[in-house]
Amino acid sequence: MAAVTLTNVVKRFGTFEVVHGANIDITDGEFVVFVGPSGCGKSTLLRMVAGLEDISGGEIAIGGKVVNDVEPADRGIAMVFQSYALYPHMTVEQNLSFGLRMNGNPKADTERRVKRAAEILCIDELMQRRPKQLSGGQRQRVAIGRAIVREPQVFLFDEPLSNLDAELRVQMRVEISRLHKELGVTMIYVTHDQTEAMTLADRIVVLKAGNVEQIGAPLDLYDDPANRFVAGFIGSPKMNFIAAKVVDLSNSAATVELVNHGGARLRKPLCGPLPAPGAEVVLGVRPEHFFEAGEGDCDIPVKADVAEHLGSVSYVYADAGPEELIIEREARRQRAGSDHFTVSIRAERSLLFDKTGARIR
Amino acid sequence: MRYRNATAYRFLTPYLLIFAIFWIWPIISSFLISFQATRTVPWRFAPTFNWGRLIGDPAFFNALKNTLLILVIQVPVMISLAVVMAVLLNSPLLKARGLYRFAFFAPVVVGEVAYSAVFRLMFSLDFGIVNKLLNSVGLEKIDWFSNVTPAMALIMIAVTWRWAGYNAIIILAGLQSIPDDVYEAATLDRVSKLKQFFYITLPLLKPVIVFCAVLSIIGTMQLFTEPFLITERGGPGGGTETLGLLLYRQGFRSLNFGYASAIAYTMAGLAIAITLVQLWLTREPK
Repeated sequence: MAAVTLTNVVKRFGTFEVVHGANIDITDGEFVVFVGPSGCGKSTLLRMVAGLEDISGGEIAIGGKVVNDVEPADRGIAMVFQSYALYPHMTVEQNLSFGLRMNGNPKADTERRVKRAAEILCIDELMQRRPKQLSGGQRQRVAIGRAIVREPQVFLFDEPLSNLDAELRVQMRVEISRLHKELGVTMIYVTHDQTEAMTLADRIVVLKAGNVEQIGAPLDLYDDPANRFVAGFIGSPKMNFIAAKVVDLSNSAATVELVNHGGARLRKPLCGPLPAPGAEVVLGVRPEHFFEAGEGDCDIPVKADVAEHLGSVSYVYADAGPEELIIEREARRQRAGSDHFTVSIRAERSLLFDKTGARIR
Repeated sequence: MRYRNATAYRFLTPYLLIFAIFWIWPIISSFLISFQATRTVPWRFAPTFNWGRLIGDPAFFNALKNTLLILVIQVPVMISLAVVMAVLLNSPLLKARGLYRFAFFAPVVVGEVAYSAVFRLMFSLDFGIVNKLLNSVGLEKIDWFSNVTPAMALIMIAVTWRWAGYNAIIILAGLQSIPDDVYEAATLDRVSKLKQFFYITLPLLKPVIVFCAVLSIIGTMQLFTEPFLITERGGPGGGTETLGLLLYRQGFRSLNFGYASAIAYTMAGLAIAITLVQLWLTREPK
């Protein structure tokens, strides 16, 4: 087991910088998920930790030792690839033991490690099969098994579930979570799926265009996002953003007028620096934080467009002037077809962002 | 559906007709001719005339020996060389990759007569560059065209030069289909580049290599141009005569079509047999 520290880590491909000075501290035994949209640099960052990409600037330390110039095999890491990267011409058993055999590991120890990995992942019966004879989930298990036999200090997962169907993904998510508990090893996991991030992580690192936007526990990020990007990225369905304007400032509170909703106003208490009077701001409201008319601080009429009925709840995609809002409603309250209704917003259940997307607290 | 099929067959008819006349019929016809004595007028049916001669003909066994010798030595050397060339071409360190690919492939495009003439000049006893180079490093000149062993070596060198690049391009395609992350996984497993080549690259290239080997076996069984043009019709003294050349000599110089047809079928049979043995030896485990 080992802590992993990234200090001002920079990655350039030629003159193009893709990671701009990432600082991340991962404690021993922690499960950290790097999450962000495609092209945000999360996989590059992981590959730099693995040693598969050179580090253009900064330092990466594993277990307190700077590993910038250490060979990938000597970093004490094991990696599970998105495409599994199994050796197609070898059986499952050969796949698991290949690295150990090539390095002259004692046969008895190799067998012990392979057996243990097979038991942990319940793949004992697949040992003589080749990858093409396995299902996606089984292949993924073998890929994880290959990582386990290395007995690494740090596990790296590069979008390991993205090739699996939805049901299998949920199943494997639980298994990875169980594996982390069982092995207690530091794990770094890359995904673009915020649900995976929320369900697996001790802490999430949100990345955007090569910058670390926020690091925190899943619910901290959900409840207290640092900026509009994190607020929009974490949570499904995503947060609603409603255009507003500051119309009054008094007693550490800003009164904002919802620009597209007939002068509806909301008084939002703030603890930080106040925005300028007249400033354009954005009010963030999660779908589940809309209330029935009159139950909140300000009402807005909407017209339901499409409703997704998930059983316990419905998500209503509603037109509210030029804005589209996603509103969570109890399933029984949402009548079928297009209709008009009014929802209410509470100040304490909304977030305020300035024009640049920074949070106004 | 039936109407659609009929339309499709109507469109295919011109091709099928040409295929039947110029491919199927000659194949059947030559098989029938191989059972006829064709040096009499009119030709007469004599089932053992050509096939019987084949079994006892020293010229046939000489050509068979030469062909198999070239097959056994040249094909493995060429395929090995092609694998090495493909790996080099696939290296991320290589600059101007497109240029090298073209250069490796170019020999196939060059006219056979032109390249044979150049090879004759290069290996000429008195003014060939190869002998000059041998001299310059203190080795004796070799008379490539008058002695059997150098002449056979020359044929093998020429065929290798012409086809190694072609095979390298096919193998390169196979190499590029091996995902990078398999090598990355091996790197993380502390597997050296050399071991990666032998334990990952070669086994994964096996189907492509087998394909190239089969093509090369068929090509070598039909070898004609090089011994005809470079070593002057299988010289010296039939030392480089191949089955293809013997067939040509019998069929088009002696006008003995029956015997030439028997030789042709023997060549095809041998190519099929060798290929089947090779496919069996390199079959995928279940």
